[in-house]
Amino acid sequence: MSRIIEARGLNKVYRRGSEEIHALNDVDFTLEEGKFVSIIGPSGSGKTALLNMLGCLDTPSSGSLKLIGTETSGLEERDLVRLRRDNIGFVFQQFYLMPTLTARENIELPLLFSKKKGQRDRIDGVLEMVGLSDRGDHLPSQLSGGEMQRVAIGRALINDPRIILADEPTGNLDSSTSQLIFELFRGLNRQGMTLVVVTHNLELARQANVMYTLRDGRIAGCRDLSGRQDTQDSRGAASRAA
Amino acid sequence: MNFLTLAAKNLLRRRGRTVLTVLGVAIAISVLFSLLALNSGYERELDKEVNSMGVHVLAVPKGCPYEAASLIIHGGVIPKYLSAGDVENVSRIDGVELATPILMHQFMKKDDKTGIYTPHIIYGIEIEDMLRLKPWWKVEGRLFADNETRVMLVGRDLADKENLSVGQVLPVGPDKEDFAIVGILDRTGDQDDQFHFFPLAEAQRVFHKEGKITTIAVKLRDVTQISAVSEEMEKVPDIQVVTMTQVMGTIMNLAGSARSLLLTVMAVALIISAFGIINTLLMSVNERTREFGMMKAVGASGTDIARIVLAETVFITIAGGAVGIISAIIGSSLIEGFVKGMLPYSPRGSLISISPELIGFALAFSVILGLACGIYPAIKSSRLTPMEAIREGLQ
Repeated sequence: MSRIIEARGLNKVYRRGSEEIHALNDVDFTLEEGKFVSIIGPSGSGKTALLNMLGCLDTPSSGSLKLIGTETSGLEERDLVRLRRDNIGFVFQQFYLMPTLTARENIELPLLFSKKKGQRDRIDGVLEMVGLSDRGDHLPSQLSGGEMQRVAIGRALINDPRIILADEPTGNLDSSTSQLIFELFRGLNRQGMTLVVVTHNLELARQANVMYTLRDGRIAGCRDLSGRQDTQDSRGAASRAA
Repeated sequence: MNFLTLAAKNLLRRRGRTVLTVLGVAIAISVLFSLLALNSGYERELDKEVNSMGVHVLAVPKGCPYEAASLIIHGGVIPKYLSAGDVENVSRIDGVELATPILMHQFMKKDDKTGIYTPHIIYGIEIEDMLRLKPWWKVEGRLFADNETRVMLVGRDLADKENLSVGQVLPVGPDKEDFAIVGILDRTGDQDDQFHFFPLAEAQRVFHKEGKITTIAVKLRDVTQISAVSEEMEKVPDIQVVTMTQVMGTIMNLAGSARSLLLTVMAVALIISAFGIINTLLMSVNERTREFGMMKAVGASGTDIARIVLAETVFITIAGGAVGIISAIIGSSLIEGFVKGMLPYSPRGSLISISPELIGFALAFSVILGLACGIYPAIKSSRLTPMEAIREGLQ
């Protein structure tokens, strides 16, 4: 499996007045294609900072980040935009849907920026993938929280990215809806999608292949859950069969 | 979906604010449009008015200010006179095709209904000369001969206003002599519609101005020789020469100050509206910082964001421009009345001249206004990094 993300010695320092805040402290992080990774940790531990750094939404104070083999430090904003647009899909806690656009149009939005037109079938396909085939013409205000997050996931998928980065995607959702969102993620992962999901919900985080724990801007732990997940899966199948 | 529909939908999100901004632009553009329409109309009408006199040069008594020229055009009494000898001298000048004496006077006429006296302007003319100057004169009834007594012609507007008809008799002059209306001139569209015309000798007799004339109207063989001929005319003692271009210039100057005041009003209106648009845009851009951050995260470049903001502005200004132009056209008569009241001299025809070019210009100006106003908010929003945008929005 190829290494899709390779980060070495990432540091991020914010200034608040005279105080320096170390959001990330010498973090090394590697991600192999096709993995489903969760990042967990208390608030202020640097989860979101790391995710934004991986997605090139934010630049590290020092350290190097290779995305799909491309070193990102020193890249022009234009090239960063292209790299991000072609390879990464973002999902946010607040959904950030355009209230004036229907579900279908919100999903279509990134195509506008990547200058791809007439992708009706592709949009239909994504709507179906996120389970919203019959809700395409609804405005966000007419959708439930879970449906809105599905639209946001659809929007992240439309440009056919290599990686999905999700920042607390279930933070605003109740537990059963959250579970459905994670099942959607696992479905995508089974089709080969690479995912990094930040969450504070341990139960959900355990459904990934690998779970990282962050504390005070450092990686405090890393657990491979692949085996365990498999047993969970078979147990689920067994109970459904019974 | 494209950038334009996206921008349009954004504007519809805050309908009230959008409508108010559009109205602000509409007011500015409508002021701009009416003033420009007025400006070109004013010059056109003034030109027409001067040309329709059929007179190239006027000789007036010395000491008579240029401003008197406008009096002459609209009729008025200048308490200084020239003599028949001056007419002789002027007609001898090379290049003069025709020089005809005119006596202007006024009399007070009592209105039958209200009993109020109003001043009426009388032109004493030599009819043959006048018809050469104004070959377009047509008459209902008949013209008079120069040797007839107690006859007059009346301009059409005056006749309509005063309910005068051919055959009617009016008392004129210090001795209240009865003059019969023998003809009513067809509408000429100029000041002639407002006057009474007497045979010159009769006008001189009835007002006791025997041998006196107010002005000499001169027609040239070749208009391009106007400066050479007026130079010659200046050599005649007692005479001051006023060319029609001077008259026009004088009137333009008179009107100039009033017009620059109007232009200032227009400029202020435009600036206020421009700042209003910028303010509204900055507000709406700031409100949507987070949204722009999200757009950047899903692949929008700074240029894309700037394009959306500019599209929104140009939508607003084009809509404002269209509303402004339409309301300016609808309200043009109102504006014309207002302006006519403000300007010291205005031609009598319609002052507002609306051309497709002018409409095109006003619309183009709206677009430019939109681009100019949108550029700062557009740049501001395009420069945000996605993280800044998202963080800022969360606070």
